[in-house]
Amino acid sequence: MPDFDAAWTVSHLAQTLKRRVEADGAPIWVRGELTGVKRYASGHCYFSLRDDMARVDCTMWRSSVARLRSPLEEGSVVYALGHASVWEERTALRFNVSQVLPASAVGPAAQEAERVKQLLLRDGLLDPGRKRPVPEHATRIAVITSVAGAAVRDIITVAARRWPGVELFVINSSVQGATAAAELVAALDLLCHLEAIDCCIIGRGGGSKEDLVAFNDESVCRAIAACAIPVISAVGHEVDVTLADLVADLRAATPSQAAEFALPDRRDVEVRLDRARRRLVGVTAALLRARSDRVERTRDRMGSALVERVRRAERRLLAASGRLAPALARRVAGPREHLARIESRLLPAMRRRLAAVDAQGRALAASLNALSPLAVLGRGYAVARDPDGRLLRRAAQFTPGSPFTLTVSDGTVAARTEDSHG
Amino acid sequence: MADTPTLGDDLKRLEDIVRRLEDEETGLESALELFEEGVTRLRSAQARLADAETRVNQVLKDSSDGGTIRLVPLDE
Repeated sequence: MPDFDAAWTVSHLAQTLKRRVEADGAPIWVRGELTGVKRYASGHCYFSLRDDMARVDCTMWRSSVARLRSPLEEGSVVYALGHASVWEERTALRFNVSQVLPASAVGPAAQEAERVKQLLLRDGLLDPGRKRPVPEHATRIAVITSVAGAAVRDIITVAARRWPGVELFVINSSVQGATAAAELVAALDLLCHLEAIDCCIIGRGGGSKEDLVAFNDESVCRAIAACAIPVISAVGHEVDVTLADLVADLRAATPSQAAEFALPDRRDVEVRLDRARRRLVGVTAALLRARSDRVERTRDRMGSALVERVRRAERRLLAASGRLAPALARRVAGPREHLARIESRLLPAMRRRLAAVDAQGRALAASLNALSPLAVLGRGYAVARDPDGRLLRRAAQFTPGSPFTLTVSDGTVAARTEDSHG
Repeated sequence: MADTPTLGDDLKRLEDIVRRLEDEETGLESALELFEEGVTRLRSAQARLADAETRVNQVLKDSSDGGTIRLVPLDE
């Protein structure tokens, strides 16, 4: 026995169908032939779209009808943008149309673009693996665009702000119109004859969809793919991605953005330079401090080791002398005094040697400091070098009459030794 | 360009120099040399940043004599 209590009402069926059909709210383009076009006094239009196999009833509300660029012609093939819905009263499917374009206006260009895309895909020119990285510090950038357009101004403005050291090579080309594709290809060919270009920006400022045809051209796309250097596309049109965008190594939404991709920001570089400067000076200073500490520690260790050895010898002598007959004690007194004398001479001598090593380290540190951009030579320090560029650290290295150079804050001075005192 | 170091080259070398200086195996003499080179690189990079001026050329191809390429400053 069927469960009649669970039977749906017609309304429930209609509502359920409506919910399911309308769940995906995204509009879709439908291509078909216009038939049964009726326009009512209310301003709304009703018509059907059909092809060989099927037919769908359409509604177009007054507000959308008012925006139509050309009247709906019976029998013409159109693209209609809309979404499917269910008219509950009849549980009938309707396609609610918001825009109608004659297929003749959009057809050929879109069809050609699709054809080219399939060819580029087949030849592997759209593979993500083909994309080359854009250099981090470009200094020579080619720009292919119209010199009369806004794109080139935008790129120059961004370059001057971010990275003033750049050199731009602008290759003029039409970016729309009948000759645009051929001119773009010629410009890409000309690019190959320029030397040492880091990357290329190809593009234009904003334009209507029809203005972008050249950037969907097969020869232009193939020339971009064949380009020896990385190419950034900058076709100023957010909505439509051109085939040139897909072939290029990097896609920028606008020419300004392309310049930002191609050029580092000078402020970032300044920060990096400053960090390198501080580390350079800091690490060198630390290195010298570490050497100096090691000299100090060695001196301390050597000094105390020596004293300890002398003391041990003294204790042995005392112990020995204690065991000997008093008569022999006198003989021991001699070496003991001798040792004491040695100690008094050895320690100062060792200290003098170590002090000399230490002074050498300090002289080195001083010459490093003099080179440091922080401790500027302007304070009055100077660095002396022999003609081979070796640092002169000790008076003994200056032989009377020999030439040397002095590096001071703003340059070098040629000098000659008169006399030296160690 | 390959012949003269670019600012990018200077930056990379500088960071390499600092890394080598931080390496405790580096002797005092070579540390001094590295430091001197570092100072030179630093100054050249800073000078390059300070003097930098954007140059804008237009690339022209003469159709008359078989396509000689000329660079002319782009009119602002």
